[in-house]
Amino acid sequence: MVSHDDVIQIARLAKLSIKEDELDALTGEMQNIIDFADTINSAAESGEAFDNINNLSNVFHDDVVIPSYPTEKILENAKDVADDCFLVKKRCD
Amino acid sequence: MKYEMVAGLETHIELGTNTKIFCNCTTAFGGDPNTHCCPICIGLPGTLPKLNKQVVEYAIMAGLATNCEIARVSKMDRKNYCYPDLSKAYQISQYDMPLCEGGYVELSNGRKIRLTRIHIEEDAGKLIHDRGDTYVDYNRGGVPLIEIVSEPDIRSIDEAKEYVEKLQLIMKYIGISDCKMQEGSMRCDVNISVRPQGSQTLGTRTEIKNMNSITYMAKAMEYEFNRQVDVIENGGKVDQETLRYDEVTDTTSSMRGKEDAHDYRYFRDPDLVTINVTDQQIEALKKTLPELPNARYSRYVNDWGIPENDASLLTKYKKVSDFFEAACDGTENPRTAANFIIGQIFRTLENDSAKEEFNVAITAQNLNQLIKLLDSKKIRMNLAKSTLDKMLETGKPVNQLISESDMGGLDDATMLKLCNDAITANPNAVNDYKNGKEKAIKALLGFVMKNSRGKADAVAVERTIKEIIK
Repeated sequence: MVSHDDVIQIARLAKLSIKEDELDALTGEMQNIIDFADTINSAAESGEAFDNINNLSNVFHDDVVIPSYPTEKILENAKDVADDCFLVKKRCD
Repeated sequence: MKYEMVAGLETHIELGTNTKIFCNCTTAFGGDPNTHCCPICIGLPGTLPKLNKQVVEYAIMAGLATNCEIARVSKMDRKNYCYPDLSKAYQISQYDMPLCEGGYVELSNGRKIRLTRIHIEEDAGKLIHDRGDTYVDYNRGGVPLIEIVSEPDIRSIDEAKEYVEKLQLIMKYIGISDCKMQEGSMRCDVNISVRPQGSQTLGTRTEIKNMNSITYMAKAMEYEFNRQVDVIENGGKVDQETLRYDEVTDTTSSMRGKEDAHDYRYFRDPDLVTINVTDQQIEALKKTLPELPNARYSRYVNDWGIPENDASLLTKYKKVSDFFEAACDGTENPRTAANFIIGQIFRTLENDSAKEEFNVAITAQNLNQLIKLLDSKKIRMNLAKSTLDKMLETGKPVNQLISESDMGGLDDATMLKLCNDAITANPNAVNDYKNGKEKAIKALLGFVMKNSRGKADAVAVERTIKEIIK
């Protein structure tokens, strides 16, 4: 069962601030999500286990260098860029 | 009350592959920001990672060299956490099916530090914080790592230091990493707790992250040990948390509350397929492993009669040890080669990294030839020493520096003449000696050695000079 403490711990890790009066509702919602996952789990148990849809194993690349992408390409979709780096707001724990 | 330290280490080692763990970008250290990147290693949606075969082989070699069981079936998992050094918001690692389990590293006091596991994972990118901004460089993102997790078997700072040094040496011997702590290719997290001496229960542990030098690791452990003891002595209780160590203030401070494994929401990476390892592959990799440092050390001490300190120095650097082995080949006493290496050759190498690189002008075969001339009594030790100096200076082999006529020493008449010449040419040294300055004899001895081109027997010369001027 999901407890208030679980919700507080998850909120802390996700860096969300939650109010005391939201706890009951959030705990209920989280319990619904867990129940849904449990339903999926019990359904999966009846099927055959497989590693991946293609049943492949040992797919490797050889240790040979291929030229990397130009830096402009790498940074093309970045919101902010400076000195050839991705630029983000500082976030320290 | 007396307290005991209980520590376990998580050691991250960057593997020396050419390419990253899931793509073919180079793993070269440094480079301009974001020049060693592709859509896979910056985690763009729709890309498909493919595991580097060499990473699996290197990790198995690490496992074999540390007495681990190698898993025949293994897989990759996603470890979810959100921080800009990981573009995907998860790190691809291994959770419940690591490549290697069990194993141990044996310390010089005979204690075995058990290993829990060795798994493979990707390194994160580099962050540079400047005022309110963070600059992200993903060159290091996706560089392959092994993480070696020890059991909490370490009981002192000295044991922790030796454990790290031993791991470092083993990995260098088997050639899977350069283990340069200053470049970040080897880093340790220290889990540490304290308990009353004699107690069997574990105290609450803290984790000190990212130690990149053995010296600072030792300092951080000392500080943290004392801090925890203080907390307990003052009636408090140690919080389980992640700490950072500040080298300048020599203190630890809290980074964050410690996450538990379930906080990372590990799950199998659906993009990466199962890793199957066969017995034949393991056997083949076992055959590629060289003799390991502990085994070499015991052989030098027990079979070859090398003093323990010298054996440590010789095995501390793989290139030195290989050179030593080749220089000894077919010679009478390995101690001769050991003395030349630790004495004259080490003197030309000013620091630890120079010894590590071991760029000397001569080959092991050159030294071997010189030692064989000594063994067969064709030359004396004085001449061998001066010749070795010249060899180190010029890179020339023995036969270009010593002619046949130099071999065989000096006849008595020539030696006597040279001794008399020395006395005539150095009246001051003779007077000094007569007035009780024992050391003055060295000037006379030096004169004879120089003029005989090292061929004279120093002991006989000293005896003769003393007899003449008595």
